[in-house]
This record gives sequence, structure tokens and C-alpha cells, in this order.
Amino acid sequence: MHTARKLAASSVEERLYREFGDTLFVSQSCADQIPTLWVDRENILAVLTFLKPHFCMLYDLFGIDERTRSCRDNQPTADYTVVYQLLSMRRNEDLRIKVGLSESDLNLPTCVAIWPNANWYEREAWDMFGVTFCGHPNLFRILLPPTWEGHALRKDHPARATEMGPFEMGPERVAREQEALRFKPEDWGMQPKEDDHEYMFLNLGPNHPSVHGVFRIALQLDGEVIIDSVPDIGYHHRGAEKMGERQTWHTYIPYTDRIDYLGGVMNNLAYIQSVELLAGVKVPDRAKVIRIMLAELFRVASHLVFYGTFVQDIGQMSPVFYMFADRERLFGIIEAITGGRMHPAWFRIGGVAQDLPNGWDKMIRVFIDSMPARLDHYDKMAMQNKILKERTVGIGIYTEQEALEWGITGPGLRATGNDWDVRKKRPYGGYDQFEFEVPTSNNGDCYDRAELRIEEIRQSLKIIRQCVDNMPAGAYKSDHSATTPPPKERTMQDIETLIHHFLNVSWGPVIPAGEASVMIEATKGINSYHLISDGSTSAYRTRIRTPSFPHLQQIPLISRGLLIPDLIAIIASIDFVMADVDR
Amino acid sequence: MVEWTPVLLALGILLGGVAGAAILTWWERRLLGFWQDRHGPNRIGPWGIGLVVADMIKLLLKDDWVPPFADRAVFIFAPTAIVVSMMMGFAVVPFAPDMQIVDLNIGLLFFLGMTSLAVYSVLLGGLASNNKYALLGGLRSASQMVSYEVFMGLSLMGVVMMSGSFSLVDIVAAQSDVWFCFSQVLGLLVFVVAGIAESHRLPFDLPEAEHELTAGFHTEYGGMKFAMFMLGEYLGLMLISCMIVTLFFGGWMGPDLLNEWLPPIIWFAIKIFFVINFFILLRAAIPRPRYDQLMSLGWKIMLPITLFNLVVTGGVLLWIEETV
Amino acid sequence: MLEVVLFYIASAVALLATILAMTRANAIHALIYLIISLLAVAVIFFLIGAPFAAALEIVIYAGAIMVLFVFVIMMLNLGERGDARERQWLQPKIWFGPAILSAVLLAEIVYLMGTVQGPATVGIVTPKAVGLALFGPYVVAVELAAMLLLAGLVGSYHLGRRALERRH
Repeated sequence: MHTARKLAASSVEERLYREFGDTLFVSQSCADQIPTLWVDRENILAVLTFLKPHFCMLYDLFGIDERTRSCRDNQPTADYTVVYQLLSMRRNEDLRIKVGLSESDLNLPTCVAIWPNANWYEREAWDMFGVTFCGHPNLFRILLPPTWEGHALRKDHPARATEMGPFEMGPERVAREQEALRFKPEDWGMQPKEDDHEYMFLNLGPNHPSVHGVFRIALQLDGEVIIDSVPDIGYHHRGAEKMGERQTWHTYIPYTDRIDYLGGVMNNLAYIQSVELLAGVKVPDRAKVIRIMLAELFRVASHLVFYGTFVQDIGQMSPVFYMFADRERLFGIIEAITGGRMHPAWFRIGGVAQDLPNGWDKMIRVFIDSMPARLDHYDKMAMQNKILKERTVGIGIYTEQEALEWGITGPGLRATGNDWDVRKKRPYGGYDQFEFEVPTSNNGDCYDRAELRIEEIRQSLKIIRQCVDNMPAGAYKSDHSATTPPPKERTMQDIETLIHHFLNVSWGPVIPAGEASVMIEATKGINSYHLISDGSTSAYRTRIRTPSFPHLQQIPLISRGLLIPDLIAIIASIDFVMADVDR
Repeated sequence: MVEWTPVLLALGILLGGVAGAAILTWWERRLLGFWQDRHGPNRIGPWGIGLVVADMIKLLLKDDWVPPFADRAVFIFAPTAIVVSMMMGFAVVPFAPDMQIVDLNIGLLFFLGMTSLAVYSVLLGGLASNNKYALLGGLRSASQMVSYEVFMGLSLMGVVMMSGSFSLVDIVAAQSDVWFCFSQVLGLLVFVVAGIAESHRLPFDLPEAEHELTAGFHTEYGGMKFAMFMLGEYLGLMLISCMIVTLFFGGWMGPDLLNEWLPPIIWFAIKIFFVINFFILLRAAIPRPRYDQLMSLGWKIMLPITLFNLVVTGGVLLWIEETV
Repeated sequence: MLEVVLFYIASAVALLATILAMTRANAIHALIYLIISLLAVAVIFFLIGAPFAAALEIVIYAGAIMVLFVFVIMMLNLGERGDARERQWLQPKIWFGPAILSAVLLAEIVYLMGTVQGPATVGIVTPKAVGLALFGPYVVAVELAAMLLLAGLVGSYHLGRRALERRH
């Protein structure tokens, strides 16, 4: 254990040391070079308050169960850790703050007052690890059902149903579950009546045509005017983070496809870049360009779904079929290249699964040549429609400041005038080699969010064209030892290679101990996988930071005082999928 | 020409109305499929027309379920109201010369009365379901339909002034020179908009509003009772089309030079066909305005237009009377 | 002859529906009976040669005013409590007195109708005749009614807006 490094990486860190003294902090080095400081519980609020003016966004907040971790080198002792990852857009800088907690005294003060979006993140940490955040306004389960026993991401919580004993739904349990379903407005922080006036409570979802999956909002209504709304998530929770702890590094890739299930290989990219950073794998140029090309194709596919469903939720019936027809053609290309459609799981540690098939460029060219004219057509049909404009212009406005406070990223943030796009600000995976623009707009309303995504489709087409025109030759996979599956050419010639190949295929690669997370500009905002390796064949902790989670959290803020149809427009304009929220 | 007895004709309308509504469901889906770059129903029979039969069998065989929390009597009564009132509305439609169940001297008012009764179906259906989405749908429909009834009635008064009668036969006869769609453009415009609002079809289907209220007033309905609502909706569509043709497009009269080519009933059918397709096109093309936008469209734009139309029509008629 | 039969059927329906409307505990059921009663009265109007009045009865009373009644009932959300209270009001000791007084009035009307001589039918009243009457001899009454309605409209708008402002 040593005190903080004398050579501070950034000026903020230096000022932090000056303000609080170096002895307070313990620095930890991470593979991703993000400065990581351990702070004790007593000072965490003071430190976070001090950092607030310097870091506009609480990018992520999550817990780690440290109890069975062996490679902790110089980190302070802790049974559980709470991690705050902060992001400064002005200085393009990150900072990670960690607080170690002991199992016997598992609590720390809440930071909801500093960053409002901490609310859901803290609830999640409580849900998953049982960390109590003192002073939190509504600390109850968020992803797991209210009747769940235990905290799912603790290492001693079973990961498989077979470890849990048979499931029984006896009358007692039925009664308990039924009782938990009873809706009491007070539990949701809403008043059933005011003066002589009784409100109506409407349960929108989890099954409703316009909530894009299993999302629930409890609405407090006066007529059709929304007085308050409380989003309720967790209906799509599948324990993706828990699965990451038992799947090997390689076999976890298909699970990532299903996080943002419209994003396809875009999810692979976020995950694999973190793994490659931990393992120190250099990816060959051809693989990089193939990855970018497929990721952008999926961005187009995802935005097309957004476009169609957005217009449909406003009540226009036809456009969605045009967009889905385009998406179908796009899936034809993806199928020809990867063999899969929505979830190809095609990226590999160190490259991609296969080389591109013959004739791939012709297929893509036909598609990207036809798209701009079709987009113009859709623009006339949908976006220029007067009724659609009246339904969406000026509805669901948030300012840039609010967006940052609530952790909003991606098109939702850029619609407020902020041009933060990870592809430009921190070009990852070869994006610095491409020419494209980052569209922004200034109103931050539903219409702008939609228009921006349509412009992003055009920009993505531009990037794809550059990929097709300049596809480098060479290997599609790195020859690093962690590359999976490893090269097979010489396995039948000598026994050493055969043994390594056998181990690497059956167990998968061993990734060196460490921590890393790499942000990518996913279809819906910034996505990253915070991976902790304990030097074994699977991750010790997989933390998935998804963009949709904070996006849903701020729905109440922008829907108060509007009507139900406006809420539907807002939901449609956010562009989320519930798998991306609940994981 | 065979003398049509009203009883036979009533029977024909009853059967033709149900069959027409059933075929319309298929035709609408085919057309939507055509416009939306997809196939539409194409599996059963030639061009998928067998779907009509399949749909009927399905709806007939479905469990006739009444939710235990619903107001049983009203819940069952509601869907019948719309079918009965829409069917009654056909009684005054002159399909061809001598081909009308009854030529009332208040024919137009009778039609308005029948469409206004159709509101109850939606309203009571929404209320009896004891479901909040249905209730919201019912509330929306009440204010939407009562408001648009006002413009619907007023938009027709120009036609009444020009023909000097409420009788639909007289109104058709008054169009032998010029169809009212030319002299009553504003009336036609308002009537078409109000007609869509009255039959609550897509641009103005706020009582249903799938994306907001799941299925609105008929959220709890299934099987035959749901089919009755659908039947009522399509009958309403046909009735409104009949009225548009009768009031503004010369009814059973063909265009002057071509009038002799085809029998009147065929002319009437052709016109109806065009109007219905126009309604389907509207459904395919236009998004749904918000509830308050629809209401302000009605009271702030439609009402002034109709009043303006009335004053101008009256003024011009008086002026012509003076000068001639 | 047919007219007479139809008249008696319609009258019976009107009477029955009105009685049922009075005795229903559930407000919506009562309203539906009231609507049926209005429709029956419209049929009577039609039969005695006043088709215009019949049409207006349907369009305005049954088609618009009663819709607003149902609308209000929907907004109030009475439910079981309302039914119970209504049932209590239907006990004989509450309606017995008013019923006797009404019966006296009814008897008077029946007696008067028997004594007063007048034409059995007045012939068909056309819309044109109604219009000429309204804007001829009764024009002052029409204008007064119009002003009253306008005042009601403005007043309700004012009250509604105040309530809305208070809430927000």
C-alpha cells in the first residue's frame, strides 16, 4: 500500500491533492490509464462535491465484490468497493473514485444531491450488492423483483438455477408475490389526492404497444395531463453481468450482442476493446476497418428501427414498413458477411471471426448508393409532415445542462447542442482515419432528437463508403497469443502448438489481471464494459455501462405537465431497448 | 326497371352492408400492403380474399367473454348500438332513382341523428369495460364526436340552402347541373374531416389510439362483440362515403356526357369506391394529431370555415334571388 | 291503423323506459333508459306529423345532451358507493310524497285533455314552417334564448378557466 503518486496525471488530481492532502488518496493503476483513486468513506462526499464543478457527468456508478479476488496488488483492503466514474467533456478526461467498504459496515452516504442520476445507479448497487446508501430517497430494488432474496452480484449468490434448489410457487408464495404487485401510489412517491381533487393512476406497461419492450411507467394523471410519472424497470433483467463471471472471455461475446439487441456487433466492439486492452492485443488494420464497417452498418440498422418506430408512435402507419424493408436489405448484407442477422457475435478477441466473403463490396455499394435518395423520400413523407412536427417540436425539451446532470449521452445529448461524440473526441479502433461530421442541433426536443439520428444515418453511410473504398489488405485476426480462436495452421505439425491450441480453444485465453473500460459511441449513446480480470479464463467482474439506463431515468423530468400522447412521443424519441437498460 | 320494394332493399342493405364491411377489411389490407411496400393478405384464395371468411370463422368461434369487472348489460349493449344506428342511416340513402328505402323530407337530419347515436357505442363501451384505457378512450370519443357533429351538421347547411330541402332525393336532383363539390368546396372539406372524426378512423382515431391507449374503448372486447365494433366502423365508413357522394358528387348521376353509358347504381358504386379508397389512403399517409390539437382544429378552424361558408352561400343565394 | 298501433307501442316504450330510468340505482343504466324514452318520444313526434321536431329530438337531446350526461357520469366515477346511495333514495318513504303530488297533477292534465276540444291532427309540420315561425313571430324569443346560451357559454368558460388556474 502506498500513498498517491507524486506525479499527478492531471491538474484536477493535483488540485485534489492540494485540497485534501495526498495521504487521503491511494492511487491504483488501470490498464485503460484512467486515473483511479481510492478514498475512504468519511471523505467521499467532500471529494465528490469538490469534483462536481470539474466533472460534468457521473458516467457510471457500480459495486464490486472484492472478497474472493486474489490479484489486488496494492489496493486498500475492502470487502466491497463502490466505483464512481466521472467524465469531463470540456477537458476530455475521466476520473475513477473508489470507496472500499467492509462487509460488517456496508454503507456510505448517497451522492444523489450532487449528481441526480446517481439515484438509479445507487439503487442498482444496493440491489446487486446490498450496499446501503444513507440518505437515499427511495432505496429499494430496481432490477430484481421486490420479493427477491439476497443480492445477486455477490460472489456467494448462486449464478445458475441448478445451484438454488427447486423453484416452488406454493399458495403462500403466490400470495406474497400478489401482495408485492399491489399498487400503492404512496410507495411510488405520489399523492393519491390533493385538496378535493382525486388523481387517476394509469399503469403504462410493462406490456403496452409503445413502451418498446417491457418498460413500465406509473402515471399520475389529472384528466390526460401528466402530473408525475415514475418509471419502473427490471422486467428485462437477465443477469448479463453475473453471466460474465462464469463465461470465458471468448464465450461471453454472444451475450453482449443481446444487450443493445438492435446494435448487434456494436456491443461486441465495446466488450472486445476492453479485453484487448487488458491483454495488450494489437488488432491488424483490416480487422479494424471491417469492425468499423460492420459497426456502422448496425448503427444504420438501429437508427432505421428508431426512425420507423418513432414515426409510427406518432401515429403514422406506413413509414415503418419502408424502414424495415431497408433494414431487411441491410440484414441480407450482414447475413452474407457474418452468417447471422441481428446477433452475429462476429467479432473476436484480436480480430473478427472470418475474412470478408467474395463480392461483399458490391452488395454494400448497392445499399449505400440507394439509401440517400430513400432517406430524402422518407424525409418528405414523415419528417416534413405538419402534424408530425406539431406533435414533436417543442415536446420533451431538456437543456444541455440537464442532459449532462442526468448522464445523457449520444444523440440525446447532441440534440442539445453538445457535440461530444466518442468517435471524434477519443477515436477508438481506427475512427481517426475516417472523415465524417458529428451532427448537432439546439432545441433538445423530440423532433431534433429524431432529425439528428437521421443525419447520423447519412454520416454512417459516408463512413461505410470510405471503408469499402479503402479496405486494407492483410490479416483479419491478430497473431497475439490471446487471439481467439487461435490460428490453427501449425497445430497438426508440432505438439506444443497443439497443446496451446487445445487449451486456448477449450478454456479460452487467460487475460492478465487488471481493470479496463473503453468507451464507444454505440447506437444509443456511450457504452462501455468495465472488465476486471483476476488473471483467469473469465472475468472477475463485468460491469456494463449502457446509455439507455440513465436515459429512462430522466423521463419524469421532461414529461410533467404534458399529455399522454406527448409522453409516447418522448419515449419514442429516446430510442432505447429494454435489454440495454436492464441488461 | 324493376320496382324495388323497400323491404327487399332493406334486406339487401343489411346483407350487403355486412358483406361489404367484411370485404372492405380485406380490400383495405390489400391496399395498405400495396402502398406500404409489402404483400398484405395473399394466402387464402385468389388474392387472399378467402381471408374474409377465415376472419369471420375466427371471430365467430372466439370465446364470448365478458370481463368479470365489467358492467355486463351495458358491455353487451354497447357494440350493437353502433351497428344498429349505422344500418339505420342507410335507410335514407338514394342509391339510384327509386332505389331508396324511404325518402324522408328530413332525410339529412335523420342521417345526422343516426350518426350522433353511434357515439353511445364508443362511450358506453369505454365506460362499461371498467378499464382506465377504455375510459380515457370513451372520454376522448365523447368530446371528439360531439364537437365534430356540430361542424358536420353545419357544413351540410350550405347544401341544404342551395337545394332548398333536407330530402336527399331533392339534393341529388338539385345537382343535375353542377355538383355541389364545386359550389360547396368548403362544405365538402369540413364534411370530409368531420366524417373521418365521426367514424374515428386513423388520422383521427383518438378513441382507439393504439400507441397511446392500447386499444382505447374496445381494449376489453374480443370475439363477436369486437367484430361488431369493427363492423360498425366499416359501416360508418361506407355511410359517410355514401353521404359524400350523395351530397357533393351528384349521387347516382354520372358526369353529363357519360351519364347514359352506365346505369345509375353503377355510377353510385364507382363514386363510393373512389371515396372509400381516398379514406384508406388518408389512413395510410397521415399521422395522428394530439387530442387537444384535434379539438382546436375543430373549434378554431373548422367552425369559422363553416360559418363563413354559410354566410357566403346565403348571401350569394339572396343576391341571385334579387337579381333574377 | 298502423299509425295508431305504432303510436301505442312507442308510448308504452316511452312510459316503461321512463319508469325504469327513475328506478335504476346505477346512473348509467338510468341514462340509457332515459335515452330510449327520448327516442320513443321522437317516434311519437314523427307519427303525429312533426318530423322536424323528431329529428331534432334525436340529434340534440339523444345525440348531444345525453352524451354530455354520460360524459359527466364517466368523469365522476361513482361506482358502488353511488349505487348504494341511489338505492337508499329509492325507498318508498322518500318517493311516496312527491309521487302523490305528481299523480294529482297527472289527473288534472288527463281531465283537461278530455275537456279541451281541438283538431286531432294538424298536418305535417315541415322544417320550412318551423324556420319561418322561429324567425317570424318568435324572433325575439329566439334572440333571447341565443343570448342566454351565450351567457352560459362565457360563464362556464370563466369558471372552468379559474378552476384550471387554481390547480396549476
